[in-house]
Amino acid sequence: MSRYYGTTVDDIFDTMPERFQPQEAKDVDVVVGYECGGEGGGKWRLKVREGAMAVEKVEGDLGPCTATVFAADAETFIGVTLNKIAALDALTSGKLRITGDASLLMNLLPRIFKPYRVPGPAPVTARDIVAGMADRFRPDKAAGVSLKFAYDLTGEGGGRFTVAIADGRCRVTEGLEKDAAVKMTMEASTFVGLMTGTMDATAAFTSGKVRIDGDMGAAAATGRYFDRYVPPDAPRVEELLSLKKVTSIDQRFATGPVMGKWFAGLRERKLLANVCPVCRRTMIHPREVCASCHVRAGEYVELGPEGYVTNYDLVYYASPDPLTGAVRDTPYACAWIMLDGASPEEAFAFEIKKEDLPRLKIGSRVRPVWAEKTVGSFRDLLYFEIID
Amino acid sequence: MTVGVGKKRVAICAVAQLKNDPDLWHTRFQGMLLEILEDLQRQTGFRYGEGGVEQIVSVSDDFLDARTISNNGVQDVLGGQYLAEEKMAQEGLNAIGYANAVILSGHKDVVLIMGHCKESQGESRNLITNCGFDPFYGRAVGLDYLNAAGLQARAYMAKSGLTDDHLARIVARSRQWAAKNPYANARETLPPGKVKASPMLCDPIRQLHAYPVSDGAVGLLLASEERAREYTDRPVWITGFANAMDAFFFGDRDLTSNFALKKAAAKACERAGIRDLKGAADVVEVMDCYAYQQPMWMEGLGFCGDGEGARFIDEGGPGKYRVNLSGGALAGNPMIIAGLYRAVEAALQLKGEAGDHQVPDARCAVAHSTNGPAGQFHSVLILEA
Repeated sequence: MSRYYGTTVDDIFDTMPERFQPQEAKDVDVVVGYECGGEGGGKWRLKVREGAMAVEKVEGDLGPCTATVFAADAETFIGVTLNKIAALDALTSGKLRITGDASLLMNLLPRIFKPYRVPGPAPVTARDIVAGMADRFRPDKAAGVSLKFAYDLTGEGGGRFTVAIADGRCRVTEGLEKDAAVKMTMEASTFVGLMTGTMDATAAFTSGKVRIDGDMGAAAATGRYFDRYVPPDAPRVEELLSLKKVTSIDQRFATGPVMGKWFAGLRERKLLANVCPVCRRTMIHPREVCASCHVRAGEYVELGPEGYVTNYDLVYYASPDPLTGAVRDTPYACAWIMLDGASPEEAFAFEIKKEDLPRLKIGSRVRPVWAEKTVGSFRDLLYFEIID
Repeated sequence: MTVGVGKKRVAICAVAQLKNDPDLWHTRFQGMLLEILEDLQRQTGFRYGEGGVEQIVSVSDDFLDARTISNNGVQDVLGGQYLAEEKMAQEGLNAIGYANAVILSGHKDVVLIMGHCKESQGESRNLITNCGFDPFYGRAVGLDYLNAAGLQARAYMAKSGLTDDHLARIVARSRQWAAKNPYANARETLPPGKVKASPMLCDPIRQLHAYPVSDGAVGLLLASEERAREYTDRPVWITGFANAMDAFFFGDRDLTSNFALKKAAAKACERAGIRDLKGAADVVEVMDCYAYQQPMWMEGLGFCGDGEGARFIDEGGPGKYRVNLSGGALAGNPMIIAGLYRAVEAALQLKGEAGDHQVPDARCAVAHSTNGPAGQFHSVLILEA
C-alpha cells in the first residue's frame, strides 16, 4: 500500500515542475535531497538554481545537498506534505528527520512551490447543478405549485436560466424569462457554495452576495421542491440527523403599576416618562426606580410629542415582531429619539416612517404618528415621521 | 476548604420575604423585588457603594422569567448599576453559599442576595421543567420535574413503607403550620381526608401532594463578622454550607438513595464541626415540593435510618425535630428560590423573629434545597445563632 490520503509520494514530486514559481526563485541556489523509506518511497534530488528547477528520482547516493529530508515511510511524507500530520509531531517521534539547513525547508520551499493538492475530479460548476435540477425535482412536494424563477449566475461556470414548475413538472431553460416571479443574481461560485452547503443562505443574502428581485417568499420556497444537490464525488457518509423543534411556552407578562401607567398613556396618545426625585432625569419608558439614585420615581410628565433623532441604524435582516409574530418589513430604522422635554441622554427608541427613510439623518425633527384606534399597546404608536 | 468554629465567619444580618402568592399578575419582578429591597433597607439602613453593599448576588431562572440573562431585567431595582452583580442560576440557597465564599475570601464584606420568581407567568411549570431535559430523549418521553418526582415517589414509598395515608398527614400538618406563617401561599387548613380525595396528578402523587404554583421574592443581607454589627444586633452565623450533584441521566441513578443529599449534608456538618446533626439542630427547613420528599430528605439529612421514612412520620419525627414550621415548600414557594425561603425561615427562627411559629431558644438551624429532576442536586446550609 503506497497510497495515503488519496495520493502517492511519486505524485508529489511529479507535480513539482507545475507548482514551481520561478519569479520567487531568482537568487536561489540549493540542492534538496529526499529519502523516503518503505513501500512507495524512494530518493529524489531537487535542484533549484537561478529561477529554474529540476527534480529527479535517484537510485544510488543523493550526493551533496544543502538540506536532506528523511521520512520513515510514505504515510509520513504524504501526511506532512498535506498537513494531515503535524511536522513537529513527526520530527519528535523520529519519523521525520532533517539534516543540513532546516530553515530552508520551512521558509524557502513554501515560497517557491505552490502547495501540493491531492488530484481530484474537475470541480462542479453552477451550470452542472442547474442542469440537474429537473432530475432532483420532487413532484410530491410541488403539488399544485405553479412557479417560475430565474437565476443570473455570473462568472465562470455560470449562465442565465429559468426554472418553471407547473402541473407537477419542472422545466429548466437557458435565458431569463420575463414572467419569472423572482430573479436571483449571484456569482456562479456563490451558487455552487449554497448548493453544496459550504455557504449559508441567510449569510449570503444579508452580506449582499445574493440579490433577489421580485417575490422574496418565492425565492425562499424554491428549495422546498427539490432534493438536495449531492456532488457526484461526495463520499458516502452516515447521515447525522438533527431535530427541528420549536420550544414554545405561552407567557403572560405583567406590566405592573409603572409600565401599566405608560401603556395607559399610550392609549391617550401621550408619551409618559417618570422623573427621578433626586437627579430629575426623565425615564421613558418609566421604570420602578432610578437605577442611579436607587429611589422610587412616582412623578410622571408628558414628553414630546416631537423630538429629534440622535442615532439610528437600518435593519435589513429578517426579524420577527415579538408582539405579532409577523416578520417586519425591511429595511426599518431603529431610531433613538430625544423627545422635547426629556433630560439629556434619555432617548426613546422607535421606528421611522418607511417613506422617510431615504432622508433620515441624525438631527432629523420627528413627530409620532398614532393608530386610528388606541388600545393601550406598544402598537398604538405606528412610527415617527420627519417634520419638514 | 474547611471553615469551622474559630475561623472567619459570615453573618446573615437581615432577611425579607414577599408573601408567596398563586398569581402576582399586578406587579412585575421589579415591583416585587423593590418591596423586598426597601424592607431590608428599613431593617439595616444599608447603602450602596464603597463601605456598603458592593456586590449583589441575584437569583432567577431564564426559562421561568422567559428572558435570557434574566438578571439584566431587574438590575435597576437590585442596585446593580455600577456595582458587581452576578446571578445564581442554581436554586437560591446556593447564592448564600456563593456570597459566603465571596466574603470569606476577603473579596467583599457586604453582599446583598435578591431572588425572584413567578411560576404563574408561564402557561405551565411542567412545560418549563420539561425543558430541563435533553431535547431528543428526555423531553420526548415526557419527563418533567413532576413526572420525575412521581417515579421517585413510587420507588421511595416501596422502599420506606410510606403510604397514601402518610402523605395526607404530611400535607395536613404543612397546612396547619402554614396557617401561622403570614408569608405562606397555601394557608387554608386541609384535613387528611381531603388530601386523599384529591385527584392523581402523577400516580402516586396527588394534586394536594404537590406544592401550589407560587410567585415570590426574597432578600438577605450578608456581612463579614467585622461588619455585621453595623446592620444587626442579632446576627445569624453561617457555619456550614455544601452542595452535591447526582447523575443527570435518570437511568444512572438510584432514586431512593439520597446520594447527593448525604454527601452535601456530611460536608456541611464537617464544616460546621457538627458530628450529630439530629442532636444539634433545633429547627429544620427542607425543600419538600412534594409530600413524599419531606421524610425522604429528612432521611438523607440523617434524622432517620435508611428506608425509615414511614416510621419517621409514624413516630412524630416532623414535630419532634421541628421540621418546616413555616409550612415548608409544600405550602408554596417558587421552585428556583424555595431553598432561599428555607434559609430566610431558618434565620428568622434563630433571630427569634418567626412570629406565631417561633421555636423558643433556637440556636442551630438547617436549611435544605434541591434542584434538578427528583432531587438530582442538593444543598445544605447550617446556621447558628
